[in-house]
Amino acid sequence: METFTLEILTPNGEIYNGSALSVVLPGEEGEFGVLAHHSSLTTLLTSGVVDVEKEDKSVESIVINWGVVQVDEEKVIILVEGAAPIRGANESEIAKALEAAKILINEVADSNFAIVAVSAKIESAAQKLI
Amino acid sequence: MANLKDIQRQIKSVSNTQKTTRAMKLVSTAKLRRAEELASRSRLYAQKMNQVIAEIAGRIECAKVGGIDNRCFKKIENPKMVDIVFVTADKGLCGGFNIQTIKAVKKLLKEYKEQNVKVRLRGIGKKGVEFFKYNEVELFDAVIDLSSKPDKARSDEFIRPSILDFKDGKIDALHIVYNGYKNMLTQELHVNKILPIDTTTFECPKETNRSMLEIEAQDEENMLDSLVNKYVDYNLYYALIDSVAAEHSARMQAMDTATNNAKDMVKSLNVQFNKARQAAITTELIEIISGVESMK
Repeated sequence: METFTLEILTPNGEIYNGSALSVVLPGEEGEFGVLAHHSSLTTLLTSGVVDVEKEDKSVESIVINWGVVQVDEEKVIILVEGAAPIRGANESEIAKALEAAKILINEVADSNFAIVAVSAKIESAAQKLI
Repeated sequence: MANLKDIQRQIKSVSNTQKTTRAMKLVSTAKLRRAEELASRSRLYAQKMNQVIAEIAGRIECAKVGGIDNRCFKKIENPKMVDIVFVTADKGLCGGFNIQTIKAVKKLLKEYKEQNVKVRLRGIGKKGVEFFKYNEVELFDAVIDLSSKPDKARSDEFIRPSILDFKDGKIDALHIVYNGYKNMLTQELHVNKILPIDTTTFECPKETNRSMLEIEAQDEENMLDSLVNKYVDYNLYYALIDSVAAEHSARMQAMDTATNNAKDMVKSLNVQFNKARQAAITTELIEIISGVESMK
């Protein structure tokens, strides 16, 4: 499978810069996936989970609160306001990341439904890591 | 010849000043390191944000889409009222840092005055606000302790009225003036026109027939709207953190120069002191010798 360059930027620095096989984004209108050679588009993202499938097929989940994505044929640039990547070397680190992600989502999401939906997703992503 | 005691007192006072300025320099160096790190982490985001906006603006311009009716992307002829937001430090003792910003604001004010445009000045930072108050220039709005402690929520709140007024047509342009960080030794003055967004600099891609902005029509407005808000918010916030880094670098430099000057002064005062002491000894010797001579 072909890869493309993915950049995820937050006001506090870059949290991802590298190649990816695919990325799933929480668009305003609903989730959508991007593969290499996707047609160009620019759109807003709402609070939710960004799933990045890396070259080694492992999936990294990053929780965001607001963002804008610019897709062109070779490159995907995601600007997010707040992000909490769910990663860690051991269980306690993952638990910490999980906590940070939940705080982030609770701050922005306006409906309980959204919070629950995203929380469930985060939990399952964390389960896979452990 | 100056009194020995006087010179001694002066030497003591200058070396005390030197101690203070050196301490202030060290404090600034430490603060600069933190502020610079914060600014450099955000720099990439600010650049990309501006790039995305510029590209969208350019594509709107290139495609000549009639459907987009957003004031932020339009060229406004004959402005009547503009907002100027300036960022200065809360504290002085940092060389020409604040004055440079104030001068740039004054220049902008003069330019607009010549064109008969009304200006609303919105100030951030004690030094600039005090300067304009002292010179009896009317400030529309002023906050004091935001520039030393940049806070995203407060900066958003500050800029919100300008965005809304721009969208309502009450103002026709928004400028942000601040002194930004370039490197440890130099600051760079920024006079940025934030709104309306400049659509002319972007080069149209060759294949203009393909619509690059693939967004659902009804969302276009919403998307541009919230994107513009974030763009303006972030530009101000970035101006604040960049300005803090610049302030510390300017102060570090000013205090370094002050320390060096004090050092030179102590040196020359020491020479003066030695000369005076020597002179006193010589006079004393002459007095003794002449006394002995007269006794013979």
